[in-house]
Amino acid sequence: MKRRDFLKKASLAAAGSIVAPYILPSGRLFAGNNVQAAQHVVLVMFAGGVRHQEAALQGYLQLGQGIKISSLNTAANAGNIMPSLFNGAAPNGSLTPIVYGTGSTGATPISPVISGATSIQSLGTTFKEVRCLTAGHYQGWTSLLQGNSAATQGLKQKPIYPTIFEYVRREMGVPATKVWFCGNGIGASLPLLNYSEHPNYGAKYGANFFAPLITFGAQGQAWYEDAKAYDPTTELNPMYAMKSFLDKNFSNIGKPLPDLMNTAAEKYDIHNFMKLMFTKTHNNSVACPPGASNGDARNIGYCAELMSYFKPTLTVVNLSAVDGCHQNYTGYLQSLHQADHSVGWLWNYIQTQIPEMMNNTVMIVAPECGRDLYPNPIKDNNNYFSYDHSDANSLRTFTSIIGGNTPPNVVKGDPSNPIGLNGNVVPTIAEVLGIKSQVTSAGFLAQGVQSFYDLLP
Amino acid sequence: MQISRTGIKKLALIAAFCFGGVFSSCKKQETKYEYGVNNEDILPANVNKTRLKTTDQYVAILYANLFQKALSSNNLFTISQCFDSVGDQILARQILIANLMKKTGVIIPTVASMNANIEAFINDTYVRFYVRMPTESEKAYLKKMIQADPNYTPEIIYISFALSDEYMYY
Repeated sequence: MKRRDFLKKASLAAAGSIVAPYILPSGRLFAGNNVQAAQHVVLVMFAGGVRHQEAALQGYLQLGQGIKISSLNTAANAGNIMPSLFNGAAPNGSLTPIVYGTGSTGATPISPVISGATSIQSLGTTFKEVRCLTAGHYQGWTSLLQGNSAATQGLKQKPIYPTIFEYVRREMGVPATKVWFCGNGIGASLPLLNYSEHPNYGAKYGANFFAPLITFGAQGQAWYEDAKAYDPTTELNPMYAMKSFLDKNFSNIGKPLPDLMNTAAEKYDIHNFMKLMFTKTHNNSVACPPGASNGDARNIGYCAELMSYFKPTLTVVNLSAVDGCHQNYTGYLQSLHQADHSVGWLWNYIQTQIPEMMNNTVMIVAPECGRDLYPNPIKDNNNYFSYDHSDANSLRTFTSIIGGNTPPNVVKGDPSNPIGLNGNVVPTIAEVLGIKSQVTSAGFLAQGVQSFYDLLP
Repeated sequence: MQISRTGIKKLALIAAFCFGGVFSSCKKQETKYEYGVNNEDILPANVNKTRLKTTDQYVAILYANLFQKALSSNNLFTISQCFDSVGDQILARQILIANLMKKTGVIIPTVASMNANIEAFINDTYVRFYVRMPTESEKAYLKKMIQADPNYTPEIIYISFALSDEYMYY
């Protein structure tokens, strides 16, 4: 080899070795050419099918039961039962029955952590009349995470299109423990949502997932809590080395198993977090919204602990207690009120208890679907009628955004002028994290889906 | 023309001779070659494992391998729920196994018995977890690993096998 050729090749190799560590999984050299508005995003999938009339329209019993119970069909029976998300006067207890609060009859509304001047509406932007891509729970969740709703999407099937989890990990190159999905349970295929089955994305870009009420509940305490803590150097390393040898001998036979690609150190860290949560669970010291104690509230509490520990780039938390509306309208109102309280508490917790995420986080609150205009025949103990979700009214919803560069005190859209699709959540998150152009150019978003920020003046 | 009786006999003899000759002619003897090589399986020993175990199958078999008794259906259901509640399934398996290792009743060889006869330990472990004997290369490599690092206790080796990809298939 000539000296000149040698020098040329050597310099190219040196340049390559310097650049190679910074090439992202997607093949890009830099994380994106968009401006990153915040380093953390929290998406609250709220909260199991929220009927628009009791939420953004603040109709309470007037719009909730007035259609069947004429005595309730007056403005005196309206009011806002979601003071953390929306501004508006609460139902007047001297004019209408108060059943959405706590206590055996729900007569005591929860004292909100944030409201009025500190509500999410006041400090952020509210899209009050958004259209859902679909009216079901699982399809709704996949819409919020994929920005699309595939007609061929099965209920017991992983998302067909890439999820926002995978976009974030692939385009930003963040490790697995920086992307989390916190489920309120393991039913309804919820655990399938942490990555898609798309061949170019998939498990290696997937989110870590916990269903805390199971993971740290009775089941986890029985089969996870006593897990022996192996020393990372003298025990885990040999263990992984032998597993690696055994896997290589099988690599030509079996298909590779889905792997979130948590490193050994990350696995160790997750296990440590689990041990911490078991201790806190027994000590009854897990963070929790003060005025609520249902499953959604406890899930929000564990999610807050998780964010405090991992400081994730993207956290998605799911709530679904309001789905009790299928057979218990009063319980639905109470769950909706508690979900609102929990979300307000979560935002306050981020701003006061997690310094790394304070003033550096955008939170998006978006229902996966609405509920019907007309009730089903099932009555609860108050003789209030229940609601399913399948008609056009089920496509009516709202989306609230707070933090980062989100303009405060902006309300967009009204019943005569719907603005935005709930699938817009995906490009909105991408815009906040500075990867919007990569996500939109990937080609998997539904027609009409765009960042909510693009809909602002 | 008349043929005498003697002539007919001669003709019959000639025909019988010719007919017999056609069906009893010489055959070339087949040559059998023998090279003194033993018959060997050329496919990998684990080639037939193409079906992925379900979570329930994995848990039930794991429990049986470690405790040498069956897991109750209630516990099987609860463990499956635990699996569904953790996204990293590899980590979920690792923590479950680490939990099982602390429970009373787990049947596992001692370090002394392993070191007394490493090859027998490796054979037993392969049969226990993979339901097959190790290949000579597998046996040699594992033996070398075990001898080179005292951290390889039967417990660590059992966990490695239970976490391995091959154990997920049947």
